[in-house]
Amino acid sequence: MTRLLDQPDILAPLPRVDHGLIDAIERARLVGRGGASFPVATKWRAVEHRSHGRAVVVVNGAEGEPQSKKDRLLMTTRPHLVLDGAFIAARVLRARRVILYIGERHSAARDSMLRALAQRSELERNIVTYAAAPARYVAGAEAAVIHFLNDGVATPVNIPPYPFERGVEGAPTLVQNVETLAHVAILARTGEAPNRVLITLVGGVTRPGVFEVDSRTTITQAINQSGGLTEPARAVLVGGYFGSWMDPHEAWGMRLDPSASRLGCGVIGVLPSSRCAVCEVAAIMRYLAAESSAQCGPCFFGLRALGDACTRIAGQGSNPEVLKRMQRWSAEVRARGACKHPDGAVMFLSSALQVFGDEFASHRPHAKSEQVRLSA
Amino acid sequence: MSNSILWYTTRGAGAVTLILLSSVVVLGVLSALRVQSDSWPRFLTTGLHRNLALMTLVFLALHIVTAVVDPFTNLGWAAALIPFSSGYRTLWLGLGVISFELLVAIVVTSLVRGMLGHRVWRAVHWLTYAAWPVGVVHGLGTGTDTWSAWMLAITAACVAAVGMAVALRLNAGSTDPLAPARGEFRSAVDRREAR
Repeated sequence: MTRLLDQPDILAPLPRVDHGLIDAIERARLVGRGGASFPVATKWRAVEHRSHGRAVVVVNGAEGEPQSKKDRLLMTTRPHLVLDGAFIAARVLRARRVILYIGERHSAARDSMLRALAQRSELERNIVTYAAAPARYVAGAEAAVIHFLNDGVATPVNIPPYPFERGVEGAPTLVQNVETLAHVAILARTGEAPNRVLITLVGGVTRPGVFEVDSRTTITQAINQSGGLTEPARAVLVGGYFGSWMDPHEAWGMRLDPSASRLGCGVIGVLPSSRCAVCEVAAIMRYLAAESSAQCGPCFFGLRALGDACTRIAGQGSNPEVLKRMQRWSAEVRARGACKHPDGAVMFLSSALQVFGDEFASHRPHAKSEQVRLSA
Repeated sequence: MSNSILWYTTRGAGAVTLILLSSVVVLGVLSALRVQSDSWPRFLTTGLHRNLALMTLVFLALHIVTAVVDPFTNLGWAAALIPFSSGYRTLWLGLGVISFELLVAIVVTSLVRGMLGHRVWRAVHWLTYAAWPVGVVHGLGTGTDTWSAWMLAITAACVAAVGMAVALRLNAGSTDPLAPARGEFRSAVDRREAR
């Protein structure tokens, strides 16, 4: 079994690849690991048949999800594996450019990637440029990446045109997460279908951090492998802030298989039962509201109103009127932004209202010191 | 008799088109001004704007088709589609054709706005400010009823309504409530100078 992490990062000649690799990717059912879980083969085909030698490959290492650390760790420890994936993509898609788009605060990851790049052949180095991704939540979204690389502004824009139609400088563009590219590199080298996945464990676990697990592993097994829980869990947040809360009993048996479940970017957050769920949800909703790029009214005003409503319940206690309003506003915000930011925030909130229904219905204000740190 | 029905229809549809088009322009300006009240939510402005615009085209089509098929006028289809190709009142009819074609462009780009993107759509939509006055001048120049009191009243009301709406709009400056927040966010993710 070829591993992503804990392996020497070796610079070796790339395997010969052609568009047969796309079929292999499809058979392996590889999906994007940035959060959207979009099928990789579909995206590659769309770019390939428009490319005519002018496509652009963007290596997405923005990692704007506050709890996720796996992309940074991968770029820091296996930069050549990520670059292998990027150059393999460039060959298969007949791309003329590769752009490394790395979070501006992920300096260790950037240094490691640029150091590895300096060791590559001149032919490879010549097609690569580097861009620092602004440290905001939406800056890693595909449309924001394209907008940034073209105009220097990392805000999402209207889609279509899709990046595979008109991306960087108008050329068909593949924007792919760094972990996804690493999986592609392993598939191309070994022929093994990727069956490992990087997750970030946070919250009430003994050893929080990034772990590499087999995709047949359940959440319980993954937590046990990393030292177990600190105390009984109240709920599990699967997929980070763009994901959903789950009842522990449902979450424990869930397999960490990105092609079968909504794993998002691989953040598994455990909320210990001693923590206040309402305060936690309120803090995350305020964060997501503040990360709205203020381009679409429903997102900017809607998320702010939802965050304020959560905060009001957290601070002043439960209120059936406010709860009812939150339900109504949630429905009004969904699908009304240029990007998926409002949809993600509303999905996060509705999962919270479902899992923490009792807490939201009977919450009483309490001292600030009891609040916690699952939120950024 | 059937000939005069066509002729009356042309004139009537022309007047109705003027009223509808002016309402559409006023509603478009009001939607940019974000006018609303408890009994008049904003989607009503945009919904009316859209539906009246489609209705305008229907009456405009009626206006043009009845004029062309009327054996008495003997205009021909070319005159209705190619500006200034008509031997009869070349200038005034030409202005009408231009106004009509601009409106078609504006409506068609609105129907496929999702495919075009906001920027292109908006650029074409600005042509409204050409289409409306050109249409008004066409009516003043060649309308059979132009100088009758009722038609003068209609034209004056339409011009006054559009003029007032545009004046309000010019006076209001930026009405975008998101502008400050957007500016703040943008300054955090804008790296144009750094690059």
